[in-house]
Amino acid sequence: MLMRTNQMAANTSVAGSDKARPAVQLDGVTKRFGDSIALHEAWLKIRSSEFMTLLGPSGCGKTTLLNLVAGFLEADGGEIFIEGALVTETPAHMREIGIVFQNYALFPHMSVAKNVAYGLKTRGVDKKEMARRVDEALALVKLSGFSDRKPRQLSGGQQQRVALARALVIRPKVLLLDEPFSALDKNLRGSMQVELKQIQRELGVTTIFVTHDQGEALSMSDRIAVMSAGRIRQIAAPDEIYRRPADRFVASFVGDANVLNGRLVERSGDAAVVSIGEVRASVPAATIAEVAIGGSVDVFVRPEHLSVTSRGASGSLPGTVTTQVFQGGHVDLYIDAPGSARDPILLRSPGIAGLSSCPVGAEIGLSIGSDDIVAFPPGEAP
Amino acid sequence: MNTRPFLGWFVSPAGLVAVGLIAAMLAVFQYSVRAYIPGSLEVGGFTWQNFAAMLRPLYALAFWNTVLLCFETAVFTLILAYPLAYALVRTNSSALRSFILIVSVTPLFLGEVVRTYSWMIVLGSNGFLNTLLLKLGLLDRPVQMMFTAGGVVAALVHVTMPIMVIMLAAALSHIDRNYEKAAESLGAGPVRVFLTITLPLSMPGIVAGFSTAFAWTFSAFATPQLIGGGRVSTVSTLIYQLGFSSFNFPFAASLSIIGLALSLAVIALLRKAARPLERMASTT
Repeated sequence: MLMRTNQMAANTSVAGSDKARPAVQLDGVTKRFGDSIALHEAWLKIRSSEFMTLLGPSGCGKTTLLNLVAGFLEADGGEIFIEGALVTETPAHMREIGIVFQNYALFPHMSVAKNVAYGLKTRGVDKKEMARRVDEALALVKLSGFSDRKPRQLSGGQQQRVALARALVIRPKVLLLDEPFSALDKNLRGSMQVELKQIQRELGVTTIFVTHDQGEALSMSDRIAVMSAGRIRQIAAPDEIYRRPADRFVASFVGDANVLNGRLVERSGDAAVVSIGEVRASVPAATIAEVAIGGSVDVFVRPEHLSVTSRGASGSLPGTVTTQVFQGGHVDLYIDAPGSARDPILLRSPGIAGLSSCPVGAEIGLSIGSDDIVAFPPGEAP
Repeated sequence: MNTRPFLGWFVSPAGLVAVGLIAAMLAVFQYSVRAYIPGSLEVGGFTWQNFAAMLRPLYALAFWNTVLLCFETAVFTLILAYPLAYALVRTNSSALRSFILIVSVTPLFLGEVVRTYSWMIVLGSNGFLNTLLLKLGLLDRPVQMMFTAGGVVAALVHVTMPIMVIMLAAALSHIDRNYEKAAESLGAGPVRVFLTITLPLSMPGIVAGFSTAFAWTFSAFATPQLIGGGRVSTVSTLIYQLGFSSFNFPFAASLSIIGLALSLAVIALLRKAARPLERMASTT
């Protein structure tokens, strides 16, 4: 650890670049509201040009963290740095951040062009330059002909584009997005996500994105910080979060997971072997470090990592199909396996074959077909 | 057909009041076009003479003074009420919120005479304010505050405050905090946020509060009568003098009619002037 720190310091001194210095850094930032702790000692480093998502259920502290970075709230402890400069005490209007709110908050009494120009006016940019940059920003979000419209004359998607243009035109050090897609209908949401991601990559603007939607988080982010009850539970790339969740909360909040009753068989180095009935599976050892050999563990298996085999096939768990749900591209099967799991097991069967091959009441075998399985000490299902 | 069968019954009391009001107004109008017979409570035949007499400088001046007084009162009330309303809407402390509400609304619950009498005690030559300023050495001798337009305005501002605070607070509470946050994030300091976002968006409340304050003050009687002590003449004190000292009911009635028309005209004008501002601020 110490060596790596030295190495990083060396990089900074040689290159002197912004790449080595985090664009945003939180050092043990804490925020209380009265007696309740909204954010507990958050440590976070966001790299330049990175798309960082804060993911968690409502009340987990993600919006508090965003407001602290924006300067709308004052931290009760810890320090915040933006591009290396200490900003913990800096008022919001001097932090040079761009923000897009859930309801967009376009100024209703100003035209689209005036909205976008607002941040340039406060900076005293001259008229010609202002007009040029406003046009440029509106072109970026594909709203070139809309300068003179009022926000109320625009659709939800168009309002969001204006909000984005308004935030980006000032060339912010950080772009903050507070659940920007939640007010859009589903089809529009998808296309806006793609477009936002494109614009973000094109401009290389460091972005903090707050959402409770794990699908959004997985598809858009470079890294995700999963939060719960005021704490950051795991910071990692989306695939890492999905494949190697750090704790029960992350495993069950991100993606669907079946919890199977297992037993720890052996441990060797970083890996461990667990048994679920007759089936054996390899899992990372780190998450069950305190479980004794032979002790019970909860094994988390994703629905797509299970497959149907014939009853009694070796390395399979016995079960009975209780419900079929046709989802178009795949079929969700709910399977009762009283010996292996408390709750019905969800299995995702690709295509439509599952509809006919596994009717309700069918007695089948379940096999586990992946290495991306994790185990945690037994506990209440969160 | 009629899905709300009792609606007619519900509005009938209001209808009754309206009928009474219209009858009274017609009676006043009827008086205003009759001749005055000095020394008699009876009125003479039809004439426009009363309205013609109003063009005399004495009466024209009373109208002008009243409009000026109303305008000053509305302006000062607005200036004092805006910060209160803003604090009322934006504070997180429920204690402060209750305090502001109590302070700003109590004038409504004091009788007009009690309230005015309190002001006379405060403003008199040996009154609270003069005594205080003398004791503090800020004045050498008492300043005349009773029987001045300034004193009348102070007392009128006091009574107009509640309605202004409530109307402004209603308008301010409809302004999304995110507008101000967005402006802040774009580099606007507190003053700029207020001038470019909060103030324009609260314009509908300002216009409503201002015109209501104006109309209230126009019809105020006890305050200008008692604190003005006859030296501040407004339309309503003039009507009182003419009606109940000279018993010139026809002329008092014609003053009332013109006064009503004038205040309606001023309010209509205010509304018209403010319409572009309101449209600018409307969010829908």
